[in-house]
Amino acid sequence: MDAFLAGMAILLDPYMLGVILAGTLLGIIVGALPGISGSTTTALLLPLTVTMTPGAALAFLGSIYCAANFGGSITAILINTPGDPSASATAFDGYPMAKRGEAGKALGISAISSAIGGIFSVFVLIVAAPLLARMAYEFGPPEYFGLAVFGLSMVAMIGGESQVKNLMSACLGVLLATVGLDLTTGVERFTFGVYSLSDGIEFVPVLIGLFAIAEMLEQATQHGVVQDYIRLTAVKLPTLADFRKCAKSIAISSGIGTFIGALPALGATTAAMICYNESKRWSKYKDEFGKGAIEGVAGPEAANNAAVGGAMVPTLALGIPGSTTTAIILAGLIVQGVRPGPHLFTEQPALLYIVFSSMLAANLLYLVLGLGAAKLFARLTLVPAAYLWPAVFVLSMVGAYAPNQSMSDIWTVLIFGVVGFLFRRYGFSPAPLIMGLVLGKMVEESLKQSLLIFDQNWLMFLTRPIVVGLFAVTLIGLFAPFLARAWTRTRKRWRTSPAGDLP
Amino acid sequence: MGRGATDRRVAGATILLCAIVYAYTYTFDEVPAALMGGLGAELFPRLVLWTLAILAVLLALHVGSPPMDAPAPIPRPVWIAGGAMLLYVGVLELIGMWPASAVALVGLGWLWGERSLVKLSISAVMLTGALNLVFVRLLGGSFPKGLLGALVGP
Repeated sequence: MDAFLAGMAILLDPYMLGVILAGTLLGIIVGALPGISGSTTTALLLPLTVTMTPGAALAFLGSIYCAANFGGSITAILINTPGDPSASATAFDGYPMAKRGEAGKALGISAISSAIGGIFSVFVLIVAAPLLARMAYEFGPPEYFGLAVFGLSMVAMIGGESQVKNLMSACLGVLLATVGLDLTTGVERFTFGVYSLSDGIEFVPVLIGLFAIAEMLEQATQHGVVQDYIRLTAVKLPTLADFRKCAKSIAISSGIGTFIGALPALGATTAAMICYNESKRWSKYKDEFGKGAIEGVAGPEAANNAAVGGAMVPTLALGIPGSTTTAIILAGLIVQGVRPGPHLFTEQPALLYIVFSSMLAANLLYLVLGLGAAKLFARLTLVPAAYLWPAVFVLSMVGAYAPNQSMSDIWTVLIFGVVGFLFRRYGFSPAPLIMGLVLGKMVEESLKQSLLIFDQNWLMFLTRPIVVGLFAVTLIGLFAPFLARAWTRTRKRWRTSPAGDLP
Repeated sequence: MGRGATDRRVAGATILLCAIVYAYTYTFDEVPAALMGGLGAELFPRLVLWTLAILAVLLALHVGSPPMDAPAPIPRPVWIAGGAMLLYVGVLELIGMWPASAVALVGLGWLWGERSLVKLSISAVMLTGALNLVFVRLLGGSFPKGLLGALVGP
């Protein structure tokens, strides 16, 4: 309770309040810039946290995470280009609403439903994260190994075209995590005589390269594409009737969004897509969907912001990222010397309550800012590409250099920028690579410790029920799509074959 | 190129990379068995490389992923933007981070289609000034001054 009150007290500290306000504003602004996703926003702004205290850094990153998701909906509604992939579903009805002159109403319901979904999920986070952490407190290295392998297997579901490519990307991330000094034996691995690689590959330049520079190169392929922009005349608050119409959709989406967000590797985009369909399924006005249904904006927006709090549950309680952005936040915490996981709840509970209170405050702040200054934020979508992308490039370079003041970080950004560009080109998602990079050390360390405990006997993993359970879920997760496809094929064959052939 | 050939080429390149990295693990320093701590320094990377190679074979066989069409050739603006980024590092070493950043803002803005040098210059000065304020004045960072900066400045 003391820690909770201490966490909440940060809202009275002008410095921390300033940090939260800055994080929220920057989150909305950068999130609203066309083509810059929430993860890119977090990666770009990560260098700013290096000189902050862990508490302030957490508050800053938490606020950015909450606000960037909302920022992404502004571009989805006004130029039919989601600022964040999680706002893709918002564009389905948000843009048609804007085209018929209801951009203000769409932005208004987006701000309100985002805030409701976000606040709901923060309360779930406050209750669920300590419970999950308490459960995980008894975990030993074998259980952590099982958990990390499960987390990595779940990345197969993130983005990209195929499970195999996602897993390859994750493996590459794990391999990159082995660069540097092996802590157990003191052997240098893959350093090629470069002194700065002894401590391993720095997270910040890798993240900036994979997200910001790769996106910039991707945008260069879109050179000359003109976007259809709709001017925002005013932000009208949704009426009570509008709100009543959306209430069911917001409630369902907040619940589903939080749950989906809490599943490792399943993030806001999946939550928004599922909740768009759910909103349609439960709506009395199904035929309005796709043509500018206000519920079609409220549902996905409540869901993608609810997923934010949900995704923080495994991130904080287990140290397993719930989404790409939480993987970046996790990297930011590691840079700060904080390793999330169950021990954080007993060793530094105040830090956790800072996250809770800052996310709560950020949700309230972007509601106020979203309704009050949406017209101003909407102007961000007018920033020409000729000014936006060069600015992203320079910010990337300055941000990558600043933390360690090392030229090798500039080269790392450029190399991973090219890697990220090639990844997208060949259907690989960069998100699993980040997950692998963040979880790699945990996988190796827990495996080594487990083998020491088990006296090198790998079969001893099977004597731990939780590990067996986690391995089983991992295998089911990996093979379920193949089994489902095989089942569908078999059923089709049964249907098309003569009745006598049926089993 | 036939459908799926791209995946086979990606898989081939991955397997080749795995083989090279695997061979490199033999150059790691040897450690007495007593200090191994469960696994030798080379064993875990090798385990990951084996997994990666097996996944690459699955990719080549299109198990769990539909065959991919060959991507279109990389457009010229991407090559130019990439070249400009490399040039930036060279210019940075020569004139320092802030002037190089201002030049990059103008140059990349021009490449992206803006033809007003006045507008580009004003925005470049404003942005580099703002970044300098945040990273140098507020956060106390120190940035490369370049060869020329070292010659003229303290």
